[in-house]
Amino acid sequence: MIELGPLAIHLAFVLSIYAVVIALLGAWLGRRDFVASAEHAVLAVWGAVLVAVAALLHALVIHDFRIEYVAGYSSSTLPLYYTVAALWGGQKGSLLWWLLILTSFSAVVVLQNRQKNRDLMPYVMAVLMSVAVFFAALLVFITPPFELLAVPAKEGRDLNPLLQNYWMTIHPPSLYLGFVGMSVPFAFAIAALASGKLGDVWIRTTRRWTLFAWFFLSLGNLFGALWAYEVLGWGGYWAWDPVENAAFMPWLTGTAFLHSVMIQEKKNMLKVWNMVLVILTFSLTIFGTFLTRSGVISSVHSFTQSGLGPFFLAFLGVILAVSIALLVWRLPMLRSENELDSLLSRESAFLFNNLILVGIAFAVFWGTVFPVISEWVRGVKITVGPPFFNKVNAPLGMVLLFLMGVGPIIAWRRATWQHLKRAFLWPVLAGVVGGAGCFAAGARSYWGVVAFSLIFFVLGTIVTEFVRGVRARQAMVGESAPVALAHLIGKNRRRYGGYIIHLGVVMIFVAITGTALFRVEKQVTLNPSEQFDVGGYTLRYNGLEERDTPHVAYLMANVSVFDGSRQVDTLKPEKRFYKKPEQPTTEVAIRSTLGADLYLVLGSYDAETKMATILAYLNPLIGFLYWGGIVLAVGTFVVMWPTPATAREPAYAASPAREESAPS
Amino acid sequence: MRLAPALLAAMLCATAAPAAGPPPSFQQIEESLTCQCGCGLTVHSCNHLHCPSALPLRQEIREQMALGLDTEQVLAHFEGKYGEKILSSPTARGFNLAAWTVPFLILAVGGGLVVLTLRRWRRAGERPGVRGPAAVPTASELAAHERTLERELERFDG
Repeated sequence: MIELGPLAIHLAFVLSIYAVVIALLGAWLGRRDFVASAEHAVLAVWGAVLVAVAALLHALVIHDFRIEYVAGYSSSTLPLYYTVAALWGGQKGSLLWWLLILTSFSAVVVLQNRQKNRDLMPYVMAVLMSVAVFFAALLVFITPPFELLAVPAKEGRDLNPLLQNYWMTIHPPSLYLGFVGMSVPFAFAIAALASGKLGDVWIRTTRRWTLFAWFFLSLGNLFGALWAYEVLGWGGYWAWDPVENAAFMPWLTGTAFLHSVMIQEKKNMLKVWNMVLVILTFSLTIFGTFLTRSGVISSVHSFTQSGLGPFFLAFLGVILAVSIALLVWRLPMLRSENELDSLLSRESAFLFNNLILVGIAFAVFWGTVFPVISEWVRGVKITVGPPFFNKVNAPLGMVLLFLMGVGPIIAWRRATWQHLKRAFLWPVLAGVVGGAGCFAAGARSYWGVVAFSLIFFVLGTIVTEFVRGVRARQAMVGESAPVALAHLIGKNRRRYGGYIIHLGVVMIFVAITGTALFRVEKQVTLNPSEQFDVGGYTLRYNGLEERDTPHVAYLMANVSVFDGSRQVDTLKPEKRFYKKPEQPTTEVAIRSTLGADLYLVLGSYDAETKMATILAYLNPLIGFLYWGGIVLAVGTFVVMWPTPATAREPAYAASPAREESAPS
Repeated sequence: MRLAPALLAAMLCATAAPAAGPPPSFQQIEESLTCQCGCGLTVHSCNHLHCPSALPLRQEIREQMALGLDTEQVLAHFEGKYGEKILSSPTARGFNLAAWTVPFLILAVGGGLVVLTLRRWRRAGERPGVRGPAAVPTASELAAHERTLERELERFDG
């Protein structure tokens, strides 16, 4: 088995080069047999990478400590699911994992398009396989995952304790699916530019891919936030760390792209801008990987740092150079007949939505790279930390929230005063009442009142849209409200699925506002049986408990939680002492309710006197982060649910108007 | 577009200006300083056991506050002693102003471009002969339209 892995990677490398060359030759010479050969090569590359991944997984599971990667990222006492997760726990494995996802997507694209998009496919394959060549080259020449140790290790050094958490098993794979998924729309966009087939075929073909990638990017970011919340133990979930930013930026531009493609689909406008967005989004995924791998900016993700930065930077340069050259070359063909009746229209709302999303992405980018720029220009190291990002992005987030309410219901082309009044009366009232209610409830934060007014405004727009639709169906067909709702969503999935996604995003805004502005925190040092109050709870510290296993030793503070005089919970925040490598970690204890999380962290302690310092946080409304994520996922499923083939054609042909009002 | 500089100034006041009327707050100063242990968090957020950076820094904040200094003076002390990198945000002076202003400048330029683009589109829309109907379908109108269409198609098929 030990020879099989490297062999498979070398094979994948050679075959992916072959696929690029033969696909391009096929396109240029018009040779269908060459293109067919490229398709086979793509499938073969996928098979080879699959074998390599299986070989590495096998080596991890059987603890083959002759292999440097296995010895470096696992141990004989590591539980099986973390042993499997160690596949993406280190750099070499995660690059191989990336290559597996990329080649799997490439194979699916080839199979999906056997009978269609024949003009685009050679270029699509060439782009996807060029990316594969880059990753395979890294694995062959720079960081071979099957590298052997000079002297086999008796025991592995184990997985970084911070990664030994269940989010580890789902956060990186989600993020990778999102990152790599963005390669597919990029490949089709480049193929459209290269082939000159610049209609909306590439957009329609990749709509689901973009949504798919966006969905996993959203989940990847959310899972990462929850991981930070549960593992890092500082009471928050987003610290604007460079690597968090690296994952957030393509999400922002990807979201902008998802919205602006609607304009191209419906109005045949914004063709150049959509190209720019898809190129930008893919480039940001590579830039993000560069940030993560290069260590050029210090980050909590330092466990992923290596000397690969320059390679990613060079690759990014090539991507940008080729993409921009192609775009400039095709500019004359991308001109579209743009027209509009009024600045007060959905087109405007979409454009401003794009501006703000890309503006936030730029602000995040600027803040992330500013320390490097400062060092270049002034020779002075500075820090651009969470307070900067919060201050700059808070107003932009508010504008975005506002546009999220306006975009979906303002009319296309021209909104009349009558229309505005009819569409926005209830939402505006909801916003005013919501803001006033927030103020009456005791919130004195300016941002808090503004944010909740906007949150209720957007909620108002979503609810009125559903109510109007349901009422219309009830009036026309006489259905009961639940049936009408189900049919309404079923018959207009893009539109109402979009609203559901917006609802999820609004819920995430609720969580962000609640935790950012209304968090309560307290730090106390206690002797056993002493107690303290935080956010309406009384907490009694009962003493320290210990537990030992071969893999890790635990030290827990036993804390009783009282609501009034009634005990409602026992929480045990812990310190864990991993034995290989010897490293203490903090494990928080959380009592979750929809209103707030009580979040306890064990700080310092004295093992003799049992005196302990406990940090208690009350994080209001953070539960909305989980639930918002779930609602967002449900909405995405509604949007992506395949339309039966029989229903698909008439939907486009007979009623182009039915999709007119897809939300922004 | 004459509004843009005023808008920019207002945004900057809202975002970059320090909180008004500060009696020095321990937490506020903690949040203005970066822990140097490599966690990337502010001194307030770092919770590392026996952190070699956050714990002495917190002690030093207390000492400085005990001297009766205000927030600005305490931060100036830390900046002087440890360099600018100790501050968790760029200062609002000199080259660092670029950190605060460039995102909003870019947005202002982008906003100007969007407005110009929309105006050009409107002019195109006003040309005779190219103007389509100002379709303003609401949810109910659309649903009603769909129902009617379906009923008619059913009748047609039947």
